[in-house]
Amino acid sequence: MKDFVLARSFASASLIAALLSSFNVWASEEDSWQVLQKAAVAARALSYKGIFVCQSAKQIKSVEITHLYDGQNEFARNVVLDGAPREVLNQSGNVVIYNPRNGKIVIEKRRAQNMFPAILPTDLNSIKASYSLRSEESERIAGRPAQVLVLEPKDGLRYSYRFWVDTEYGLLLKSVMFNNRNEIMESIGFNQLALMNTVELDWFKPKIDHNKSYVMEQEQELVADAGSQIDWEIKALPAGYRKVDQMMRKVQGKPGPVTHLIFSDGLAFVSMFIEHVAKSTKEKPAPKNMLTTTGNTSFYANVNNGHLVTVMGDVPEATVVQIANAVVFKK
Amino acid sequence: MSEQISALMDEEIAIEDAAHLISSMQSSKQSADAWSQYNLIGDVMRGNQLLSRDFKQNLMHKLDQEPTVLAPKSAQINAESTATFKDKLPVKWSIAASFAAVMAVGWMAMQQVQTGNEAPALEMAQADVVEQAIPNEYMAAHQSSAPSASSYYIQSVSYAE
Repeated sequence: MKDFVLARSFASASLIAALLSSFNVWASEEDSWQVLQKAAVAARALSYKGIFVCQSAKQIKSVEITHLYDGQNEFARNVVLDGAPREVLNQSGNVVIYNPRNGKIVIEKRRAQNMFPAILPTDLNSIKASYSLRSEESERIAGRPAQVLVLEPKDGLRYSYRFWVDTEYGLLLKSVMFNNRNEIMESIGFNQLALMNTVELDWFKPKIDHNKSYVMEQEQELVADAGSQIDWEIKALPAGYRKVDQMMRKVQGKPGPVTHLIFSDGLAFVSMFIEHVAKSTKEKPAPKNMLTTTGNTSFYANVNNGHLVTVMGDVPEATVVQIANAVVFKK
Repeated sequence: MSEQISALMDEEIAIEDAAHLISSMQSSKQSADAWSQYNLIGDVMRGNQLLSRDFKQNLMHKLDQEPTVLAPKSAQINAESTATFKDKLPVKWSIAASFAAVMAVGWMAMQQVQTGNEAPALEMAQADVVEQAIPNEYMAAHQSSAPSASSYYIQSVSYAE
């Protein structure tokens, strides 16, 4: 009888322990999302200065960053320290790149979508839907203690990430992207970082080289969409991806304007281009489709109902194919 | 679950009754792995030819190494039907598109390509690196509107000016 009571109390104790530990797991994933959320905000709302190293495919560059938030606007100046002295200036999302090229400085305009360390969107809900998050043991990055978070995709349609978040500042210190074979595709991380305590903006300008001429980039002109006939629809996109932008643009060597759509799951961005092809290819549609990967970028093109559909992005090949197949043309 | 997947492979479960297994394979890595492992085991046991793990990479690499034929003698029949389409594409891309075609046919086609290689009196050029396979104009458009975190600092487009 005594044994029985003991066994019973042991059983209930282990049941409670099991319940507690499962609660802990749940709480810690929720906590981890909080840490990531804080990192997304900190990258934009803190003022800091440091040097980070950016590695992609076969190239490595060191970049000096100065980032200031004055309570309303964000200012950042990124100077590439290795090779050509490229500068990337960002004012509240409007990016201007000073790009030394062929003896000139070419001025390019971009939008800031995921500039390190602000690579996470401030709204993490779309990411939560497609990835799971777990924390690992702390590590030291740029001389600072960092919490390690592993963001893993719930399917094979996106890559996984490893994040290091400063335990004190909440700032993202390092981000590494892995492909499905666990190979590093892209790595960006600080090796030096300090917070700034200033609202002075005297540093927010490019270093001008008076011996060089500055020219605007030959822009791939954006064309106002003059209500051109839309004879297509986006049907079943792969899970987690949604359309985030759409424009018409002129692409070099193309006779007519090309429709450019952008899809994202919150972290990965995929472009789709739709254009007409000549109808006379009926007898034998020559290259039916093409799938290739260069560095981190998957590329897929196919001819669908008299249209050339081209899809590319830093995602697995399956994703570009599925996105291309999501277009349905009306007869 | 694994047993059922095994039974499905052995056709002990009708495909009509296997919807739950197929959805499980799509959603669960474990089931998907089980399916591919059972297939692999089956192939080995039946002595089927296996593709090496790096088959695709090797093939693409070999295709890269293939010289580009600049003056083919007997390609005209083919060229006629594809000429209109080719006009719309960059030259490099149509080379790349032929990669895809070869991919589909597999090893057989590759051996043919290799024998074709030995044909005399052809003008040849070293194939461009695969970097060129993605047309630059699309790459530039993609990066200006949907940049990756490293593309602000590292340019993967080699601008031809």
